[in-house]
Formats: sequence, C-alpha cells, structure tokens
Amino acid sequence: MALIECRSLSRTYRRGPETITPLDSLDLDVESGDFLALMGPSGSGKTTLLNLIAGIDRPTAGSLHIGGVDVGSLSRARLADWRSGAVGYIFQLYNLVPVLTAYENVELPLLLQRLSSRQRHERVAAALSLVGIADRADHYPRQLSGGQEQRVAIARAIVADPAIIVADEPTGDLDKASAAAIMDLLKRLNQEVGKTLIMVTHDPGCAEHAARTLHLDKGRLVEHALTH
Amino acid sequence: MLAPRYIPLVLKQVARHRMRTILTLLGVAVAMFLFVAVQALQHAVTDATAATGREVTLVVYRENRFCPFTSRLPESYTPRITRIPGVVSVVPLKIVVNNCGASLDTVTFRGVPRDNAAALTNAFTLLSGSLEDWNSRGDAALVGEALAARRGVSVGQSLSAAGISAYVAGIIRSSEPQDQNVAYVDLGFLQRATTRGGDGIVTQFNVLVDDPKNLERVAHAIDAEFRTDQEPTDTRPEKAFVARAAADLVLIVGFTRYLGWAALLAVLALVGNAIVLSVQDRIKEHAVLQTLGFRSGLIARLIITEGLALCLAGGLLGVAAAFALLHFGRFSLSVEGTNLNVTADPAVIALGLAVAAAVGIIAGLVPAFQASRREIAASFRAV
Repeated sequence: MALIECRSLSRTYRRGPETITPLDSLDLDVESGDFLALMGPSGSGKTTLLNLIAGIDRPTAGSLHIGGVDVGSLSRARLADWRSGAVGYIFQLYNLVPVLTAYENVELPLLLQRLSSRQRHERVAAALSLVGIADRADHYPRQLSGGQEQRVAIARAIVADPAIIVADEPTGDLDKASAAAIMDLLKRLNQEVGKTLIMVTHDPGCAEHAARTLHLDKGRLVEHALTH
Repeated sequence: MLAPRYIPLVLKQVARHRMRTILTLLGVAVAMFLFVAVQALQHAVTDATAATGREVTLVVYRENRFCPFTSRLPESYTPRITRIPGVVSVVPLKIVVNNCGASLDTVTFRGVPRDNAAALTNAFTLLSGSLEDWNSRGDAALVGEALAARRGVSVGQSLSAAGISAYVAGIIRSSEPQDQNVAYVDLGFLQRATTRGGDGIVTQFNVLVDDPKNLERVAHAIDAEFRTDQEPTDTRPEKAFVARAAADLVLIVGFTRYLGWAALLAVLALVGNAIVLSVQDRIKEHAVLQTLGFRSGLIARLIITEGLALCLAGGLLGVAAAFALLHFGRFSLSVEGTNLNVTADPAVIALGLAVAAAVGIIAGLVPAFQASRREIAASFRAV
C-alpha cells in the first residue's frame, strides 16, 4: 500500500459565477521515501495538490489516503492534529514568524506536543544542527539571509519528525548558490533521513534532484518521468 | 484556557511589537486611571451617604438652612433634646469651614464641649499627641489624619484656616469619612474665635439614639419639640444629612459614572482596534501556525490572551497611577461642611483590574473568532 493514495482527486473553487477546477480527477500513488517533483505552468494545480496532501485544503471530490488515514474525512480539529505529526511544510517565502528568533520559530511545532522544555530544546538544537544553522539560533528572521531563513524553515518542518515533507518552490526566492545548498539539504533529508519529499518547482534543475517528476496541466497529470 | 506553554508565545508577541504595545498600554492606562478615579468618587459618595440600617446618630440642623454659616441654633436646646425618650447623648457642635462651597481642600473645625470629649474619643484612634494636651490647652485641636497629611501639620504645630489658628494636640484616625478631614476643638474656643454666632450658638447637635429602630421616631420628636421655637430644627440620620448637604456634589459625582463607562468603551474600542489590526497584519502568520498543526480554537485563544495581556498590563498601570494619586493626594471633596473622602479602596482597585481583564477578553472575541474561521489555503492566497 502506498504512503499517499489519491483517487479521482478533485478540487473546485467558486469565484463569483465562475467555477475553477485547479485539480481534476487526479490519480497518484507516492511510496514512503519517495522524492517527487511537481512541475507545470502556473494554474496547473501543483500547489493545490501539495496543499491537499499537506492537509491545509480539502478535496471536493475523490479520496486522499495518507498513511492509511482518509484525510478528506477528518474534522477541522482532527486534521490540525494530523498535520502536526504527519507533515512538514516548506514555503517559498519561508513564512517565519518575524517576532520570534530562529530557535523560537523551530520550537513552534513542538509546543503542540507534550514535551518538557528540555526535550524541546534538544530537538530544536538537533534540527538546527542538521540544517547547519545552529550558530544563528538567536537571530531574528530579519537578521538572516534568504538561504538561512529557508534553512530555519526546513528545521521547523522536520523538528516534529513528520514522515512527509512538502515544499512549495523552496528555492524560488533564492540565488543560485543558496538554491543549490537548499536542494542538497532536501536531498539529504530524503536519502539519509528517509523523509518522503514532495516538491513543487518551476526549475528543471531543482527537479533533477527528485527521484521522479510529475508534470501537471489544467489539473491533470500529463507526464510522469523517472529522473533517476 | 490557554496551556502555560503557550503563554511565552503570547508575551513575545506583546513585548516584541513594541510600538503597538506601548501605544495601546498608554491608552488603556489613561482610560483605566479615569475609570478608577470615577469609581473612587462613587465609592466615596456611597460610603458617606448609603444607610446601613445600623446607624444610631442623628444630626439636628436649623430648618431650611444648608450651610454651617447660616445654621445657628441655641446651645440651650441641649437639655430639651436630652429629655426626649430614646436619646442617649447630645453633643452640640459648632462648625466652621474655610470654604462653604465645593472644594478639594476644605478645613472644617468642629467645636465640641470638653465634657463630651469622652464620647468623641470612642469614635477614633489617637495616632499621635495626647488627649491631656487637648484638654489642657484652650486652642488645642485633634486633627483627622487626612487633613493633617494634606495640610502637612503634625503634633505641636499650628493649623490655621478660616481666621482660626489652633494648636495641633493630636492626630486621629477614624473609619468615618467625616472625622478624617476635621479638626476637633473646644466649643467655647470656636464660639469665641468666630465673629458670627458667638457664645451660646451652635451649628448642629449630634444625637446618639439607643436603637437604630428608634431613629425616625426620635427625629420626628426633636423637630416637633422645636416646631414653634424661633429656631425650628430639621433632624435627619447622619448619612441622610450628609446626602442632603452634599446633594449637588452627589449629583455631579453621579454624572461622572458616565465618564467611567465612556472610559471603558474607549478601552474596548482601543484594544479591539489594536487586535483587529494586529490580526489583519498576521493573517499569513496565523495560517502558518495552522499549517504547523495549531487548531483554530488555539489560534483564537492566543488572540484573546493577547488582548487580555494588553488590557491587564495597561489596567495595572492605570490603576497603580490612580492608587498613587488618591493615596498620596488624600483628596477630600467637601461641601457645606460635609466631607466625602476620596480614597483608593481595595474593592475599587480589584474592580478596576477585573474590568480591565474583562474588557481585554471581550475586545479579543470578534477578531479571534474571525481568525479561527479562516481557511488556511485561502489565507495564503489572500496575502
């Protein structure tokens, strides 16, 4: 059984009198430990699929099972609980809380767990070390470069040890060198730590780091390529 | 309720949005200062005028007169009042004030016969000085501690006002607001020291009755006794007398309650506005927290707690400032010889803090509800 199973997965929105279908009857299996890149033009449904898998949006038709859990049927509160343990989200623009230090940002997901402050400290320190930003723990986001901010965001995504990491154009706002470093880091998370990674990207160079690449257009899968 | 591990998160939001927090705190502090000051005024009026049903003191005043300058009764009424059934004791009082109108700094001299001093001393505690001094010197005064503090006089010094100069023989403390702002002197001394009235004339009689139930009956009996005399009387329970004498002041103080409520509304609008703006600025931040697994109810409680923290901190500042001003200022609102002691009562302080907390919670409710209902994906699209 695949870790992620999408069957006839659809998402429609109403915008005034118009109905928009960014995702249309998509079937997809993602195995545990996979590294998947989602590519396609703007409006093709990449981010919508990512948001559905991350549990921050709900399908309007079809089913989505992740780790045996029917994510689409969970209540709002149960879905939040599920997200806290199952998925880590990496944003294009990092989305760190500006008034919190790097350390405090990474600690946020752990506040939801019943951990002592010492246990939280150990896990935050380990996550910051893993992404190579331990020496910036006391810095605020405004005091960090884009690459450093994204490292903190990655540490925040992995600190609760979720099985799945989703990343929405994680290098989209970075220079070439920083982007390469972030991609190396994501690859390590996949290969050395065993995280299942699903990444939206417009950059074919970034997609090359993934094990396979899916191309979407108008909410449908149009191409399925193995990178390695 | 918010779990303790989330409290630092709220406090960091409050502390690190420094400018917003300082401005909000100042606004809340000023409004809560006003609210507590108004409540202290209300409390002073209630304390001085609300009957408890246990009062046993009547005040006999000249009929149709409202000011100590114009209430002139013969001291010779004393034995006739004493003979009325139910009367325990009668103290003729001469009252001289330096200002008959409403004032925050009125000095009230009360002249009492020396042989009534024993009854008088039962009503208060002598903080400093000696009763012997008061008995032995003709110009000696026992000064209420609030008046002594306000005028900066201590034992051995002179208290001068209304053309009268008295030697401070002792400082007294009393639970009665009227006693805290007066100087008790010998009746004869005060009669001689004033140009109006003179010997044999007093302002009022304080009559002690044997039972609170007899208060009304004895009052009617006293007024009936003097109805046909040249100086008819108007007798009322002491608190009712104060309420009548200070009626204008009571009306004005009553009006200030609207200022108090307006101050609360201002706090509500200010904190509500601060939180609404803060929540609008942080739509994406809240969406991120929800993405991390924070439940929408938890987001709502974080927002409400932030409002509570802002209001409590501002409330503490305002209440502390009001307490300091009232405590060290020792204000006494006086009119026509009656005093309303404006103090920072613990009940008023507690009310101020409780109201600040309640307003903080109420101000956060609507933005918290709105923030908790937003869809995460829609929040990211919206910004």
